[in-house]
Amino acid sequence: MINRIILWLPQLLNGAKMTIIITVISVSIGLILAVFLALGKMSRHKLLSAPCSAYIFFFRGTPLLMQIYFIYFGLPQLHAALTIRSAFVAALIAYVLNTAAYLAENIRAGIQSIDKGQFEAAKALGFSYGKTMRLIIIPQTVRRLIPPVGNEFIMVLKDVSLVAIIGLTDLTKVTRAISSSTGTALVYIPAMILYLIITAFFTFIFNKMEKRYSVYE
Amino acid sequence: MSMIRTENICKDFGSLKVLKNVSLTVEQGEVVVIIGPSGAGKSTFLRSLNTLEKITSGKIFIEDELFYHRENDTTVSKMEQSKFSDMLLEMGMVFQRFNLFPHLTVLENVMLAPLHVRMKGKEETEKMALELLARVGLSDKANVYPAKLSGGQQQRVAIARALAMEPKVMLFDEPTSALDPELVGEVLGVMKDLANQGMTMLCVTHEMGFAREVADKVVFMANGMILEEGTPEELFGNPKTPEAKQFLGSVL
Repeated sequence: MINRIILWLPQLLNGAKMTIIITVISVSIGLILAVFLALGKMSRHKLLSAPCSAYIFFFRGTPLLMQIYFIYFGLPQLHAALTIRSAFVAALIAYVLNTAAYLAENIRAGIQSIDKGQFEAAKALGFSYGKTMRLIIIPQTVRRLIPPVGNEFIMVLKDVSLVAIIGLTDLTKVTRAISSSTGTALVYIPAMILYLIITAFFTFIFNKMEKRYSVYE
Repeated sequence: MSMIRTENICKDFGSLKVLKNVSLTVEQGEVVVIIGPSGAGKSTFLRSLNTLEKITSGKIFIEDELFYHRENDTTVSKMEQSKFSDMLLEMGMVFQRFNLFPHLTVLENVMLAPLHVRMKGKEETEKMALELLARVGLSDKANVYPAKLSGGQQQRVAIARALAMEPKVMLFDEPTSALDPELVGEVLGVMKDLANQGMTMLCVTHEMGFAREVADKVVFMANGMILEEGTPEELFGNPKTPEAKQFLGSVL
């Protein structure tokens, strides 16, 4: 058994690399996009809040699998200029757009959980809306956001297994390939352990960050 | 020249009339204390001066210039925007619940607005902030986060933070109501010093001793109206309205 696992390990690690890369990039870029979506959705201007709400509604309300399919296969048929040749880039776009919708709702909840008095104090001191958000509100939401963002991160980590449908090879895809070529489903054991190791590692990182941002409490 | 003058300020929350034609003048250098039962509209009046509450109708003058004029929930006239913003900065505010920025140290709390709103230099601001902290007796707490301070200390930081913007008038919205009794004195002490240095102050408070000792003028509000105003001797010694008599009877 051990021998076989050692034999499979390089392939499995390669797949894990793809899984981690897509997850880390998607959540990082998704977070930036999510801040703007959240602020947009909370805006009093309908022209800003309506599109942001619609965006969040769409990406949370349709299956991620369909979104990946559509970005890779559907967009080129809509217009040739929308063709994305690289499956990797198409996957990244799908995951960024999808996770941003979920993260935006987390950020909105985080901002709305900040005491009204903070906004009033900022207004009384003359801070503009932008500066209030940047200097006073957003920094306070960071610590509160770490647990839900960590949660979303782990969700994405496992959702990356969907990329196989556009021909990318992540950890799940590698496992299935090994399983079918060797005729043994036992490869799922080291694969799942690998998932758990990755999850444990990132949970540890998020916990560390939470501690670091808690200094003032 | 008056510092703040209001004419017939009204504020409705739906069908509830919280302020009814409140007209008040605060002269430069004057300490005005507003007292009255809870629900009288004292805080709402104070908060409407720096537009934390939008008035339904009425006029607000700052230094004898029309600052804000609204009728029927629409703005009739307003100072030109940049001047309007400048005028807002002339009013420092201290809140009942302090509202310090918890993610910043005491020193950073005091420095934030001068740095990012007044656009002052860092060194100059830090020097001023440390002086202000010395003035409120908290030099040793400069690098501590607000959560580590007592309520009284937090409120003194909040006063220093407001003073850092060099306001011409300070608005105090029940600054000692959220404090444990033994901590009230230190905050009132800072406020007294401020009054003695000539700061124009408008305070909503339940501290009758402070009103008696420090106020130039005491205003009694009930049911959204100013029912009486006068020197502390007049108001405490000889209240005229039954509402004031009853209120003073219950708190003194």
